[in-house]
Amino acid sequence: MSSAAISSRVLAGFGLRRALVRHRGALIAAIVLAILLFIVDWISAGPLTYFDVSFLSSGGATSALAAVGQTIVILSGGFDLSAGAVISLVNVVLASSMDPMAPGASILLWTVVGIGVGMAVGAFNGFFIAVLRMQPIVVTLSTMFILQGVTLLVMDKPGGFVSPDLGSFYLGDAITGWLPMPLVVIGLVLLAWFWLKGTRFGTALYAVGSDPDSAAAVGINVVLVRFAVYVIAGGCYGLAGVFISAQTGSADPLVGNPLLLSMFAAVVVGGTRLGGGQGGPVGTVFGAYILMMVVNILLVLNVSAYYSTIAEGTILVLAALAGSLSHTSVLAVQLRAARARLAAWRAGILPSQLEPIDRRLKIAGPTQNQRGPASPRPAFRLRNAETLRYALPAYACLLIIVIVTQVWLGRAILNPGYWNSLLVLSSFLAVLALGHGTVILTGGLDLSVPWTIGISGIILAGMVNGSDTALLYALPVVLVMACAIGFANGFGIAYLGISPIVMTLATNGILQGFALVYSQGTPAGFSSPMLRWFMTARLGSVTPVVLLMVVFVAGAVLLLGRTPFGRRVYGIGNGLRAARLSGIGVERTLILVYMLSAVCAAVVGIMLTGFSGQASLGMGDDYLLPSIAVVVVGGALITGGRGHYLGMLGGVLLLTALQMLLAGTTLPYATRAILYGLVVLGAVMALRERRLQ
Amino acid sequence: MGIGLKVRRLALLAGMAACAFGLSAAEAAEKHKIFLSMSFIGNDWQAEAANMVKAMASHKSLADKVDLQVQVAGPNAQRQIQQINAMVQAGAEAIVIFPISPTALNQVVKNACDKGVKVFAYDAEITEPCAYNVHIDQEEAGRVTAEWLVKKLNGKGNIIAVTGVPGTSVDDLRTKAAKEVFAKHPDIKIVGEAVGMWSQAVARTELSKILATRSWNDINGLWMQVGCFTANSMQLEAGKKTSELLPCAGEGSNGGRIQMLPEGTNVEGAAPPYAPLGAPRISYASPPYSGALALKLAVEAIEGKDVPKTTILPLPVVTNETIKLCDEGTWAEMKAGCNAFKPSLVSNPGWFASIFSDQTPEIGLNAALVGQPEN
Repeated sequence: MSSAAISSRVLAGFGLRRALVRHRGALIAAIVLAILLFIVDWISAGPLTYFDVSFLSSGGATSALAAVGQTIVILSGGFDLSAGAVISLVNVVLASSMDPMAPGASILLWTVVGIGVGMAVGAFNGFFIAVLRMQPIVVTLSTMFILQGVTLLVMDKPGGFVSPDLGSFYLGDAITGWLPMPLVVIGLVLLAWFWLKGTRFGTALYAVGSDPDSAAAVGINVVLVRFAVYVIAGGCYGLAGVFISAQTGSADPLVGNPLLLSMFAAVVVGGTRLGGGQGGPVGTVFGAYILMMVVNILLVLNVSAYYSTIAEGTILVLAALAGSLSHTSVLAVQLRAARARLAAWRAGILPSQLEPIDRRLKIAGPTQNQRGPASPRPAFRLRNAETLRYALPAYACLLIIVIVTQVWLGRAILNPGYWNSLLVLSSFLAVLALGHGTVILTGGLDLSVPWTIGISGIILAGMVNGSDTALLYALPVVLVMACAIGFANGFGIAYLGISPIVMTLATNGILQGFALVYSQGTPAGFSSPMLRWFMTARLGSVTPVVLLMVVFVAGAVLLLGRTPFGRRVYGIGNGLRAARLSGIGVERTLILVYMLSAVCAAVVGIMLTGFSGQASLGMGDDYLLPSIAVVVVGGALITGGRGHYLGMLGGVLLLTALQMLLAGTTLPYATRAILYGLVVLGAVMALRERRLQ
Repeated sequence: MGIGLKVRRLALLAGMAACAFGLSAAEAAEKHKIFLSMSFIGNDWQAEAANMVKAMASHKSLADKVDLQVQVAGPNAQRQIQQINAMVQAGAEAIVIFPISPTALNQVVKNACDKGVKVFAYDAEITEPCAYNVHIDQEEAGRVTAEWLVKKLNGKGNIIAVTGVPGTSVDDLRTKAAKEVFAKHPDIKIVGEAVGMWSQAVARTELSKILATRSWNDINGLWMQVGCFTANSMQLEAGKKTSELLPCAGEGSNGGRIQMLPEGTNVEGAAPPYAPLGAPRISYASPPYSGALALKLAVEAIEGKDVPKTTILPLPVVTNETIKLCDEGTWAEMKAGCNAFKPSLVSNPGWFASIFSDQTPEIGLNAALVGQPEN
């Protein structure tokens, strides 16, 4: 294979040992893939033939190509949620513009069209992210919504025609019986990447991903590099779109959306660090194929359908662990620390075993009371300038949306029912914003939110079964379970050193399996009258949950702003090493943060069960991306360290009010999706980063 | 490689899976190897359909003939493609599929057909001509329900439409057919339209959004693909009397069926809103037995019988005139005309009640609930 030739060339250039260290992630991914291939060969009926290899190579090619694009974005320190939507768009554009009557189709032309569409989207993303300095996650999320709308405008249901020429070219053999075409395509993309990496641009890419400020300081044009990254990545998604069109021979406007999450998994399994600067597309390609092989392994082992997500989650965690095994991995460091602690305990010199005397340095200085009149407290506006700058735009946009609702639909500003609905519908995301927001403040992400919501609702409904008394013991049971889920997440991240995305993605799959096994596929039971009253009744013109929200918001603001826990969270988000050196118990805090997130998700599951009267499988699926979006729209930084809960609350109210406005119109869904994306994009224009000095 | 060697290797590798596989491998000599490739398992309809397929496979008429393996593809069409390939490689004689996409699977299905594998799609459609399809006429579903609503409103009134998952053929066909009917009656006005994603929970959220700027009193009727059960609950919460419930054309969930029973009917396990309300309804569904029927037809096709490429299932429609409570839910009882199940038997109101088919005497209520066939 071509990449083997390349890596041998690289090896010669750098010396074996250094290259091994540098490419460890990709190498381990390759070894895991080889082991998986061996397992499949070992347990399936016949030996692995060229035919199988050809099938496997085409099966994983779409996600591999798209994940290469995502890797390049992540290397530059970015994040791209629009990748799946680009694939769908290219798919429908190709299928709706090819003529079924024409005798043949130009492979070159349509490939260029596909890549061109992808690059155009990439340029759109790049403009907002690089030139206007907006956060990648929210820009690409808006782009995702806009593209989903545009895709439905191009083609509102599956259909269309893609010339079989494309299929026989991309799925055929490059060398008959020896080399399938998909591997050649991926090889060419990787070759292009190696060429790119060797240029000044390649160096600049890694530099920007490692530290944009230093990169700018040494004269790298950060804006241009970032812009180009999104365009190149868009081209990769476009090529993936062309490939899936060739593979399916027609179009489906929803085909690309589910590829998004597995794409991130492929990147991380392939050894690229989220946050940028380390890793590369070669490992990603192996990562994508590892995830694809899991399908075959589950099939030959005949794993029951209910257990398949559990098996996948476990494989994901094991792959990530295998990828991080080394002397310097978090797990190894933690084990050494534990051994040191044990030795200290034996010797009796552990801090907790020493006499409790005050060993703090005595620093003479003015205490709070002695502060002289010379340093008055600055004005509120000055003290909170940063918070206000990032939190206020959401509220300003909310005001505009409410006014538009009043003008367009009437019955808004003076209608207490409108405000009550707004608060009730916001309550779910408001609770999630605290949990997920805190995780994001530490620089992590919690992808296990959907099925933590789902399993909490399902278990609660099953235990309660319409009885208010049962609610008394069901609530604590569900919340304790949520603590356990959060603990597992936090433990994996803090002590095993698994990246938050992989750990929580795996947890999500495992929880889904548990929910299915617990409910046998059909969740039983329903909410008790009291819970339903709480979520849907009216006290005057107010639903009881709204009163709780007031208390919750106050508590959340105090928790993040006024407690040691809150300060530790911001400390970790601003710099892990600095936090550790300042004596913050990073591991303990991280575990608490993920426990908080899981408990918040469980509370949402309980609230949703009360709101709908019953629990259903997949009830949490619609809350993952919005819970990230509100946090960012509310002014938080996705890489952690900055954000205020009141800002996130503003984000929640803004997005909910916007959805209520769109729901009140009779616009078609495609138009609504586009408008939604544009408004979110507009709302965060005000959150632009300050220009690099 | 002999079967014995294979079993030993498996036993080494994974205890539990190996046992299941080993047993079936030993007996599978005479059995037809059939795979089920489901889509997303995390929803009520899919789980119910899977239960019915499993029940069908374990019924005494098929248990000796069929070795069924179930796999889940999730919402990802790419994965289903890969899965079908792997099934063909594993020696499938037939593959029963819930297709995630009607078009994306065409190439791989054609490949499978070329190798002599019978491919059956249930509920949704695969457009590749060599595939067998088992489903209802979605346009008829949209048309019949819309016509019922127009008649109920005497051709005049404001309605709210809650659709399914945008971008799918099923939603497109149903919604377009319904809108064509509404367009013929200029006094019927769609004043609100929401995407319901075929989920009661989403229907409630969307209706709450619409009703934030509108009152129930401005609305005369509802056309929903899923959500009538929720809409009725919401009207009661808003202070409407049961006699004032709006006519609602929608899904075939058991909760909705129970609500259609005349108010005051004595039903075991009923608690509001999962209780008889006399709600004016037409209830239709894509029946979850289609997968089980597809499996039965697949066996017939393997055995060389002539099976038509497309089996259009009769649209199960229940109105207030035809609603009837089942006692136990056996096939024989449903054959006699009952179509709603007691909440004491079916505790989930979102559970789909259209499980009866003339052609599947092998499966009744227990098949849909726990995957157990009739005797």
